[in-house]
Amino acid sequence: MAKKNNAPRNDKAAAAKSQAQKSVQRQERRTLMGVLIGVGVAIVVFGGIVFFIVQQSNVPTLDSGDAVAPAGADASGGIVVGTSGVVGEDVPEDAPRVDVYLDFMCPVCGSFEEINGEDLAELREAGEIELWYHPVSILDRFSSGTQYSTRSANAAATVADAAPEAFVDFVDALFANQPEEGGSGLSDEQLEEIAIGAGVPEDVASTLDDGQFTKWVIAGTDQASQDGMAGTPTVMVDGAILSQTEDVAYFQAGALRAYLEAL
Amino acid sequence: MTVSQRFAVVQPWISLVVRLAMAGILFAAAIPKFADIPQSVRAVRAYRLLPEEIVPFVGTMLPFVEVVLGLLLLIGAFTRTSSIIWLLMMAAFTTGVIWAWANGLSIDCGCFGGGGEVEEGTANYPAHLLERVGFIILGTYLAIWPRSRFSVDARLAPAPVDGVEDADPELESTPNSHDTRK
Repeated sequence: MAKKNNAPRNDKAAAAKSQAQKSVQRQERRTLMGVLIGVGVAIVVFGGIVFFIVQQSNVPTLDSGDAVAPAGADASGGIVVGTSGVVGEDVPEDAPRVDVYLDFMCPVCGSFEEINGEDLAELREAGEIELWYHPVSILDRFSSGTQYSTRSANAAATVADAAPEAFVDFVDALFANQPEEGGSGLSDEQLEEIAIGAGVPEDVASTLDDGQFTKWVIAGTDQASQDGMAGTPTVMVDGAILSQTEDVAYFQAGALRAYLEAL
Repeated sequence: MTVSQRFAVVQPWISLVVRLAMAGILFAAAIPKFADIPQSVRAVRAYRLLPEEIVPFVGTMLPFVEVVLGLLLLIGAFTRTSSIIWLLMMAAFTTGVIWAWANGLSIDCGCFGGGGEVEEGTANYPAHLLERVGFIILGTYLAIWPRSRFSVDARLAPAPVDGVEDADPELESTPNSHDTRK
């Protein structure tokens, strides 16, 4: 505005011309840069789509046959323990189905087991509930790259499959020896030792690091997520998630037992 | 200098800070998601807003989109468009948080990776919403005043001034020369 008044007319025309040329050049550079950035954006987004497609083929589904399930497991990724404490045996009929989703890295799951483990075991032994364990891996990012959630869940599945009578003790022992969240988890050797301590035969314990059921764990975790598990621990009774605020405050000792006994 | 003139001088610098802050927020949001893509998918699913058919796609693509947007903001290209996309994303996320809150879903927002494993009753919805409001304010500011220092946009803008780099001194000097002439 101030400029207009300052400059004589012919200067103004020359200035306008050079300005227009500059403007055109700028426009061209702008277009070129726009194209370059657009290509960059397209490459990253396209890379994302390719990654997505690859990822999709890597995540098996439980029913694909790609994920070998352990004995005693069902289509929802649960492992059932019967009245005798053996996986897949002496499962009570007509008892309410209780599904417990847990990640062995999850400290809150540790407290859940501490508070309710015995109650659930007693109800199970009495045949009052049909107890299903879902070892899921949602906390792999908290074990410094050692994928402890997946490794421990695979170990539990391996035990369920090959040493079904030791499954319950092994799960208890994993929580009793629970590593710190955010640390590096338990090593494969430690898992093996704990398994042997829990009564898993040595020839089975030595296969825990084979990752035999890793795909099943991944598929089961995805299935659990689709079934509404938004975190661990999650408890379902006959397929419906128990709410701590609306159904039962299951971090209070005895509350879950009372709730289940009243069913 | 009047307040508006003062603002004209400071605005590109504020825009720079806002722009870089938004880029930083996007990178902070994207990196943990890259580290655990399945978790990103589960976090999207936990909102129970989107149909299952597109949940894995959205969860997987989210960090890629965040990184692209973050890069655009970092170099300051298409700043206004970027801020509008940012605002659209924030609108979607905020809807998600409000939805989750209204439906009593007990989930972590999953905004910066993670998400899901919150003990019931500990999902801090008011704090999340406050955070969202802050992000929306940043995006709105940048959408209104996208011109910023050290940006690709500024280097390429068909600005009606001679030197691109002295765009700001020009703003400052125009009123000054006007004053001395009178």
